[in-house]
This record gives sequence, structure tokens and C-alpha cells, in this order.
Amino acid sequence: MHISDGVLSNPVCIGCYAVAIGVAATCIKTKMESQDLPKIAVITSVFFVASLISVPLGPTSVHLILPGLVGVALGAMAFPSIMLGLVLQALLFQHGGLTTIGANSLMMGIPALTAGFIFHQVRKSNNHRLIITAGAVCGALGTLLAGVCLAVLLVTAGENFFGVAKVALAAHVPVIIIESIVTGAAVAFLLKVKPDLIGVRLKNDRFSPSVSLDS
Amino acid sequence: MKKFLPVQGIKLPGAVIFGLIIFVLLSTTAPSFAHKVNIFAYVEGNKVFTESYFPDGRKVEGGTVEVYDSQENKLLSGTTDTEGKFNFVPPKKDNLKIVLIATMGHKNSYLLSAEELGGTAAGEESANESGQEAAQTENTSPESNVQAVSSGTGAAAVQVDVQEIKKIIDQSLDQKLAPIMRQLVKGEEEKVSPAQIFGGIGYIFGIIGIILYFTKKKAS
Repeated sequence: MHISDGVLSNPVCIGCYAVAIGVAATCIKTKMESQDLPKIAVITSVFFVASLISVPLGPTSVHLILPGLVGVALGAMAFPSIMLGLVLQALLFQHGGLTTIGANSLMMGIPALTAGFIFHQVRKSNNHRLIITAGAVCGALGTLLAGVCLAVLLVTAGENFFGVAKVALAAHVPVIIIESIVTGAAVAFLLKVKPDLIGVRLKNDRFSPSVSLDS
Repeated sequence: MKKFLPVQGIKLPGAVIFGLIIFVLLSTTAPSFAHKVNIFAYVEGNKVFTESYFPDGRKVEGGTVEVYDSQENKLLSGTTDTEGKFNFVPPKKDNLKIVLIATMGHKNSYLLSAEELGGTAAGEESANESGQEAAQTENTSPESNVQAVSSGTGAAAVQVDVQEIKKIIDQSLDQKLAPIMRQLVKGEEEKVSPAQIFGGIGYIFGIIGIILYFTKKKAS
């Protein structure tokens, strides 16, 4: 789900760049904690690699996008993280395009922020099942929203919104299902192993509570 | 930062990276990304053949192929078949830009230079669509006109022979070279290699590390 060079018109590219850089700068300025940086590095790597590996699935092959997982794990820092991943993908693999980094960042960053926001609402609860379900929902939602954003962006290139949206979502139904499972499993795993990594504070926490995501 | 130093802080990134490495290694059998398209073109005879595919080798079915000349004028367009192939007779001899537009914002182009078209004298031969033999009398290109006008004389007979020999040589050369051409173009394919992926991960850690260095410096 990367838009290539030359698909979007110049004003749209420039506008998206401006908005994306603005959002990324705001996120970094207000939400970045140096304690979180190692985590950001790991999650950015996961995002970077996930898009490059395609899994053969039936007649086609799909690759994961993981905006949901990035959002759940990083909260507001998901946006700069995704942007960094996309810059490297564009530079090293011509995956996406240099002129469309802004548009692609918005396309995957906004769903990530949305997923992060939703997860943030439930992560303080003590109900593990609820947290895991929220993770799975966020995983699915991230890809779903990315498809919608793609359709919105392509409308500016003169394509029909519902046409693109239908094609994009149909092609990504398997991805949505896989990402939902992956994100749910990741949240379940983190809950057991290191809950403070996803900002969850357990009741009888033996470890000192870490700085939460939103602080 | 102390919180990250104890063992439980290091455990998880280690596990994630390990999982990542395993994932990459398992997937190297088919390293590819479906969200990029490639197109390549080669000349055979008087036709330009194009093939479109995703980097994992899957063909682009029903993609739109548009051909532009060096002035960005659209010359023709068509759709790829189930094999991802589309071929056309170049309407003129020029640097052609062949653009592939697949669905969902995927686009790529291939530049075919005039020299590559050169051997076929594509501009003249494009008129031969209806049939090479019949074309001689109807051909409007200046070269053929000269031929037609002076066809009675002995000198012209020699010239025609030379022309025909050239054509025959060109044809068999094209045939013989076609597989090599295809291989050459295939060599230009961009594929993701594990080395590049690890390089990318290295970049990410490096960049974050530099940020961490400066934020720590500021804090202390």
C-alpha cells in the first residue's frame, strides 16, 4: 500500500509533505522521551521489514503493513517512526517514491495514531482479554483505515473513491485478518512478558512502573 | 535510563530481534514486495514487447500500459494480458517512455531509447502493419520513395539487394539476441536482498542511536 512517484499531482505531494512533517515534528516535540527511543528503534525496524517481506497467499502474495501494531506499541511516536521507515524504504528499495513519502506517511501514520489512541483508552483496564481484543481490533483497523486513506489520496489523482476503496480493501482482506491476529498476539505476548512496553500497568506489578506512553 | 539496563529491559528487544532475524531468513526464499511493479521492454523485429510483473515474479494482469514520446505526447495505450505482456508497433522512432499503471497507486516506467529502436527503423516500418510486401508501393517515407522512383535502373537493384540483406541480417540477429536481451533486462530487475534489509535495520538503529546520544547529552 505504497503510492509510487508520479501518481499524485505536485500540489498534493507538497501539501502532504508539509502536513506530515508538521505532524511528525509535533509528535517528536511533545511526546518523545529518551527512554522510549530503543523501543521506537525496534518497532520501526519491524515496520520497515514487514513491508518488504511478502507472504505467498493463494494466487497472490501480500505483505503486512502493521500501522496498527506500530500505533499500539508507540502511541504518538508511531507517526515519526512510520515516516522514518518509509524514508528508508524509499531510499533503499524504491518502495513507494521519494515525492510521495509525505502522502504515504499520512496514509499509514494517521491509522497508526488512531489505533494508538483507541488502545490508549483501554490499556489501563485490568481485563487482559479486553486489552488483547483491543489490540486485535487496532491491528485490523489500522490496515482498514490505511485503505480508506489510500482511496482519499487517489481521488486527488482523479480516481473514483469507491472504486479504489473497494479494490484496495478487497485486496487487503487477508492482510487485515493477518494483522489483526499478529497485533493481538503481540499484545498478548507483551502483556505476559513486559506489559510496561505497551503502557499497561498491572495490579500487582513487581517491577517499578515505567514511564507510560502518553507522558 | 536505569530502567532499561536491568535484564528484563533487554530481554524483549533481544527476543524481538531474534524473531525478526528468523522471519527474514525464513522468508528469503521469496523475498519480494507486492506493492511495487516493474516493467521492462525490448525490441524484437519491428515490434516492442513489454512485460510487467511484481518483483516476486507475479505478472501484472490487466495493467494499463501507456507509451509516450520524448515530448510527453501520448502515442498509444493498451492493457496487459494474463501473462503481463503487451506489445505494440512503435508509431515513430523516438525515445519512448513506456509507463505501466497498475491499480492502487502503483506505477512504473521504462525508457526505451531511440537507438534501441534504431535497427528496425521503426518509424518507417510502422507503416508495414498491413503487410511488408504490399507496403513498398504505398510507403510514404522518403527512403522508400527514392527506391520506388528509381526501381527501373540497375543501380537501384543493387540498393534493394543491400536493403534486403540488411533486413534479413537484422531479423536473424534480433532472433538470436532476443534471449540475451531478455536476460540483460531481467538483470536490471530490482529485488530485495537480505543484506539490504539488514542494512535498513542498521540505519534505523543508527539514526535512533544518534538521536538518543543528543537527547541524553542535553539532559545531563
